[in-house]
Amino acid sequence: MDRILLGDEAVALGAVEAGISAAYAYPGTPSTEIFETIRRHAGEADPPIRGLWSTNEKVALEEGVGVSYAGKRALVSMKHVGLNVAADPFMNVAVAGAHGGLVIAVADDPSMHSSQNEQDSRYFADFAQVPCLEPSNQQECYSFTREAFELSEQLHVPVLLRLVTRLAHSRAVVTSSPPRKQNEAQYVADSSLYTLIPSNARRAYGKLLDKQPAIAEYAERHPANALTLRDARLPGILVSGVAWNYLQEALGPALEQYNLLRIGVYPLPVRKIRQLLDASTEVWLVEEGYPFIERYVSALGLMREPPIKGKLTGHLPRSGELTPDALRQSFGLPAREALRLRGLDEVLVGRPPRLCDACPHDDAYAAINEAIADIEGEVRVQGDIGCYALGYLKPHQAIHSCLCMGASIGMAIGAAHAGMKPSLAVIGDGTFTHSGMAPLLDAARENIPIKVFILDNSIVAMTGGQPTMATDEQVVDLVAGLGVPRSRIHIILPTPQKKAENVQLIRAEIARDGLSVIIARRACVTYAKVIKEHRRSRKPAPA
Amino acid sequence: MNYDLVICGVGGQGVLSIAWVIDQAAVEAGFHIKQPEVHGMAQRGGAVSALVRIADVPIASDLVADGTAAMVLSVEPMESLRYAKLLRPDGWIVTDVTPLKNVAAYPDTSRLFDVLFSAPRLIAVDAGALARKAGMVKANNMVMLGAASSMLPVPTALIEKYLRALFATKGERIGNANVNAFRMGDAAGRFAASLAAGGVPAGVIARVVPRLDFEPRPVADEITAQWQQRLLAADGGSLAKRIFASEEVLALESGLSALVG
Repeated sequence: MDRILLGDEAVALGAVEAGISAAYAYPGTPSTEIFETIRRHAGEADPPIRGLWSTNEKVALEEGVGVSYAGKRALVSMKHVGLNVAADPFMNVAVAGAHGGLVIAVADDPSMHSSQNEQDSRYFADFAQVPCLEPSNQQECYSFTREAFELSEQLHVPVLLRLVTRLAHSRAVVTSSPPRKQNEAQYVADSSLYTLIPSNARRAYGKLLDKQPAIAEYAERHPANALTLRDARLPGILVSGVAWNYLQEALGPALEQYNLLRIGVYPLPVRKIRQLLDASTEVWLVEEGYPFIERYVSALGLMREPPIKGKLTGHLPRSGELTPDALRQSFGLPAREALRLRGLDEVLVGRPPRLCDACPHDDAYAAINEAIADIEGEVRVQGDIGCYALGYLKPHQAIHSCLCMGASIGMAIGAAHAGMKPSLAVIGDGTFTHSGMAPLLDAARENIPIKVFILDNSIVAMTGGQPTMATDEQVVDLVAGLGVPRSRIHIILPTPQKKAENVQLIRAEIARDGLSVIIARRACVTYAKVIKEHRRSRKPAPA
Repeated sequence: MNYDLVICGVGGQGVLSIAWVIDQAAVEAGFHIKQPEVHGMAQRGGAVSALVRIADVPIASDLVADGTAAMVLSVEPMESLRYAKLLRPDGWIVTDVTPLKNVAAYPDTSRLFDVLFSAPRLIAVDAGALARKAGMVKANNMVMLGAASSMLPVPTALIEKYLRALFATKGERIGNANVNAFRMGDAAGRFAASLAAGGVPAGVIARVVPRLDFEPRPVADEITAQWQQRLLAADGGSLAKRIFASEEVLALESGLSALVG
């Protein structure tokens, strides 16, 4: 069947038709559409595919490992920085191995379209010593995903599927193949492999090392690692993933003047690379993301014969995603002539994203800003990840950091310990349950004098309106459960009408000693309808 | 055949819906496509774009080099300029003239239009006015899709088919209103293209078409011919400037005689 699919959607369909029994994810651009698509198709599978938007990526992966342990297939998806959160189970399930097929789809974001960094997930696969498949187009998104499950079960390893933004969020026609049945549930025979007390872990790690030759041979023989040797007097190109697409666009027929090795499956196919190096006068390394392959092949510049040209040598841009224009420039081809309009630069200004009209965060920031305006000395507010990170920009200019999910509260604790007073943090309801509860437990345990604002808008809005884990009174209960006295938990309604009242309350809490939590509670205006649906479909609490 | 189209606007204006419709129509017409788009943070009122690559051979790259695209189709006038560098020197800009000023530094609009209307191949439409007339204030995107449709390498009937499919779950009234918006845009686009083919300068057409009252059907040839003749006259340029500055909507049939009188 042929369908027009985003790269993300093709991964999702590949997983569904590979016979997954469950899927888990935490929303994050550019990976979000993977789980959204699985969720749309979950009911069509027999039995229906289980899973949920998990609390965070670590939990998502652990849930996926549990499915694999029980003999069924699971897909876990996240953005690149989500794998940092899931790094602990990731590194350890590599040692434990996979029983039912376990595939972790990770979407990298070179150029940081919607991210804090452009880390390259191929390092994680390498670090964990598990295979990594890197599709270069939407069809490969589908077929590599299906193959990843086979590989995972064949070699008993989890498999990492690496996407990048331009593939995750680009559409093309994808042909699918007949779906495979789900596995029957059957526990892994040897539970010691998953019980990583040191004596077992040493044995399990030995098994992982024993798998390496088979994994290496798989990559060496894989048709996606394709070597084309034309002539020993020609230069060579070693290219991976979507960079192959841009290379074709940029160089066109000139590509025939190069020996070529395409890479789509890791670990690196060493024999093929050796052949390319031996056959070429010089070798260009063209890869999307970090110079991962280049560091291996060039040994950080220690290897000089034949010369390597890539990101480490300054021949390609070291940061940002590759583009056909960047490659044309690197290979010495002129830029194409484009339409030019006189005076264009004077009438074209940037249009950054902004908070929506009537956004509750806007009112929360207005109240906080006014409350701290007359405090002597500089007051800084630790921010966090979500729409409200836009509070850094004008006109709000209300937060002064945004490091990673959940960092605001921990950083406020540190700033308080460094002597800053007051020390403030702002975090949304989704980010709070993702990874803000643990630092708040620290603060509550020692009554550290920070003031935490939880902006509860009842939704994970930035990534497109996924359900939040806790809102309204559930947030209050969580905060109280972590040990914050009820008398130090306040709820404000962030509206223009309530501003004076809110400012007064915030001032009073800042003046008090010890920890306070102020919950600014008002539903997101943009996702008002979705929030209503989420409220209706919410499962009742266990009796 | 290969045809690269940039679709752009502001988050919330329905840029990705335009791309969806063209994707479906192009694939049904037997073409290969690649269609990257912007998701995530930018959709919060920021600049949003999609690229539609259409070809009769498989397409490798999801991105294009500068100077490659055949058309920039924009739902907002300033945004059309953001992607002008992707256009071939003979590429078309097809744009709404309704500014969306959600940034403080938004340029002076008369300056903006001076630059925009200097583009050599340009179709400018007041999509807001036509969408309101169609009874669907949010249908600016479908007006613009209509304005571009006659120049796309995909049959207009297929575009309309998938436009209906896009609104299939929204009820008949919304579907019909969007189709009407699309057809008014199509009428405006074809009218502008005929004037251009007849030798009327792009800057003149761009100042007149946004002020005309299009129906959801093609403009009669004789009406187009009358406008062409009038705009080719020595004072065509100054007339166009007056029409654009007046901001009044002129009827296609009687507008000319009103001007003459």
